[in-house]
Amino acid sequence: MNVIFQSTYYTLYQATNERCFYIDFGQKKIRMPFCQLLSLRHKVMSIDIADHFDSDLNTHGLEVLTLCNKEHLFILNTLEILDLKNLVEHGFLAIGLSAQKELQTY
Amino acid sequence: MKDIARQSMSIKVESMDMLNAQIKMEAHASALYLAMASWCEQNGFFTSAKFFFKQTEEEREHMMKIFNFLIDTGGNPISPEVTNINYDYSSIVDVFESTLEHEIKVTKSIHNIVKKARELGDITTERFLDWFVMEQVEEENTIRDILDMIEVTGTEGVGLQMIDNQVANWIE
Repeated sequence: MNVIFQSTYYTLYQATNERCFYIDFGQKKIRMPFCQLLSLRHKVMSIDIADHFDSDLNTHGLEVLTLCNKEHLFILNTLEILDLKNLVEHGFLAIGLSAQKELQTY
Repeated sequence: MKDIARQSMSIKVESMDMLNAQIKMEAHASALYLAMASWCEQNGFFTSAKFFFKQTEEEREHMMKIFNFLIDTGGNPISPEVTNINYDYSSIVDVFESTLEHEIKVTKSIHNIVKKARELGDITTERFLDWFVMEQVEEENTIRDILDMIEVTGTEGVGLQMIDNQVANWIE
């Protein structure tokens, strides 16, 4: 497996032989076909981190994240969500499907 | 190392995000025109109601065109949530003016995606949107023509009834 991107808490791998990706969440490593990786990106990027700083909107500063058709469930805190957003952003940049940074350098 | 991601998806994720936002916008337009059809029916503008029933179908077709494009390119199309639909209009003129305003918003949004896709070097998305650019010219023109007809006919006396009858000319 090849490391695509490593953030503080998580690592994204590409498993070429299996034609899929893996994310190491620390407690467990999850196998993800590309469509599940896209689904994770949507879920993570849809989280409004500002809600974590408003006790009315998010009392405990936690997010429940279900992955791979509800096969896995994670409860993540604010720092972990921020780090996962970072992993997704840089991961997609590293696999060549995002041009965010290229545009920023113009 | 094989490029599994590129083998799975042929557009940029930024384009996918913008197209998902456009799906939402088309769904909103479809729901908005359905609300307008309802208003027209309730206020006795039956031909205009037919026109908006047809428009609501067209907007849904636009939405599905983008949805299917995202499927074809290996993306992740999102089924949109639609909220904040206006049901209050002061007159039939207000209905058509609101329609034109909304179509202009849609046109601007599509132009914006074309510009961004060009910046990203995403030729697939840029070419896909060619059809939408020309479709918006037609959509805006239809509503402008109806508003011109309303101005010429006037809303006094039997004007409103004549306006409603003439809207039939724009139902294909």
